[in-house]
Amino acid sequence: MSSDFEAYEQDFGTLTAEITNKIGRIPKLAGEEKTQLVLNVDKQLEEVRELLEQMDLEIREIPIQSRGMYNSRLKSYKQEMEKLEKDFKRSRIAYSDEVRNELLGDDASSSESQRAHLLDNTERLERSSRRLEAGYQIAVETEQVGQEILSNLHSDREKIQRSRDRLRETDANLGKSSRILTGMLRRIIQNRILVFILGAILFLTIVLAIYFNLRGH
Amino acid sequence: MDNSGKEKEAMQLMAEADKKVKSSGSFLGGMFGGNHKVEDACEMYARAANMFKMAKNWSAAGSAFCQAARLHMQMQNKLDSATSFVDAGNAYKKADPQEAINCLNAAIDIYTDMGRFTIAAKHHMTIAEIYESELVDIEKAIAHYEQAADYYKGEESNSSANKCLLKVGSYSAQLEQYPKAIEIFEQVATSTMDNPLLKYNAKEYFWKAALCHFIVDELNAKLAIEKYEGMFPAFSDSRECKLLKKLLEAHEEQNNEAFTEAVKEFDSISRLDQWQTTMLLRIKKTIQGDGGDLK
Repeated sequence: MSSDFEAYEQDFGTLTAEITNKIGRIPKLAGEEKTQLVLNVDKQLEEVRELLEQMDLEIREIPIQSRGMYNSRLKSYKQEMEKLEKDFKRSRIAYSDEVRNELLGDDASSSESQRAHLLDNTERLERSSRRLEAGYQIAVETEQVGQEILSNLHSDREKIQRSRDRLRETDANLGKSSRILTGMLRRIIQNRILVFILGAILFLTIVLAIYFNLRGH
Repeated sequence: MDNSGKEKEAMQLMAEADKKVKSSGSFLGGMFGGNHKVEDACEMYARAANMFKMAKNWSAAGSAFCQAARLHMQMQNKLDSATSFVDAGNAYKKADPQEAINCLNAAIDIYTDMGRFTIAAKHHMTIAEIYESELVDIEKAIAHYEQAADYYKGEESNSSANKCLLKVGSYSAQLEQYPKAIEIFEQVATSTMDNPLLKYNAKEYFWKAALCHFIVDELNAKLAIEKYEGMFPAFSDSRECKLLKKLLEAHEEQNNEAFTEAVKEFDSISRLDQWQTTMLLRIKKTIQGDGGDLK
């Protein structure tokens, strides 16, 4: 039974090698030859799939203990087949180098343009790194300016607080002085009233004195 | 044209004021309203001084203000006297710095007498600035800045005090009084660390303190940096701290070029100011000195 499996393996190996070869050639061709090759590869992929199925059936006939190794081999073959299919699909839509060269001129000039391209890129990188550094410098300067402004703000804040306190003190003092002034005013008025009263009494006394004197005569 | 006319007027006023003062000095004048005359004379001196200022004759203006100030003192008007002395100081600043300092000192005495320490501190700062710029006497400048800082601390204006202390620190480091400078920088840095407005400045002060440590002794610098990082974690992120570590390495290996390169790299991003360049140069000399011995 395992000899069948090995025979299948060998067939698989040859088929995959052929398919890879053909897939490599497909992009370079065009038109008739390409379609033929494509059909060819399609057919061979079908054969590979059938092989894999048969390998699967073989494995089921083997007793369970020794199945493990064959199972893992089968899995790797399936993966290889999937990869081949993917490559096949890609190759059908890939453009070959030769077509590109035909369009853009011969080989030598393409390498030149590559070199110019690289130099261009390097220059662009240098420019951007210079700009980044300048930006960093500006950021650091901004930070320093910010520091200064903050400390100025802090000292201004203290000054304002102090002025406010002093203003409150002045306000209280002004209140006190205005009270004292009103007190002074009151006292002045009182004094003046007293003076008037005294003056009036004196005047009355003098008048009375003269009156009694005249009466006495 | 106008100014020279002003000057003549000013001289006239001065002469009149002198006469008034003399006349009030005599006995009779003193009896009949001498005070009134002295006050008038004060005012005339002040006007004359202002006219001298217009004519840009600073020293004459200064002397006129001084006269006015002395008359005020006679009349026991301390506040007016002090303000006149300050005006005199400002006028003399442009002509004769030494005289300015004398006038300002007189004003400061009056203010401290009255208990107005904030203003006294401000004038100490002005005097220190004169010493800094015109007379270039760094030690006296340091002394005045220190006084100003003490007065400010007494009046709880910590940010002005810190400003003065920083100047004291920079100048002491310049004069190679490193322990004092280190102490001042550390003090200022620890006090600004907590304040949310000022904490971005703290790293700069730590950097300066570490530089001073470095000049004294490399081991000190290492210990100091560790201490600062412990106190103020943001310090370890700063570019200055990274530069310090690089410099320490370069110093250990006595590698002059690595030192210069690290400094150049830092300088390319943010210019180093005069003070810092001087300090770094001193450190570099110590490296070179050690390397020179090997040669």
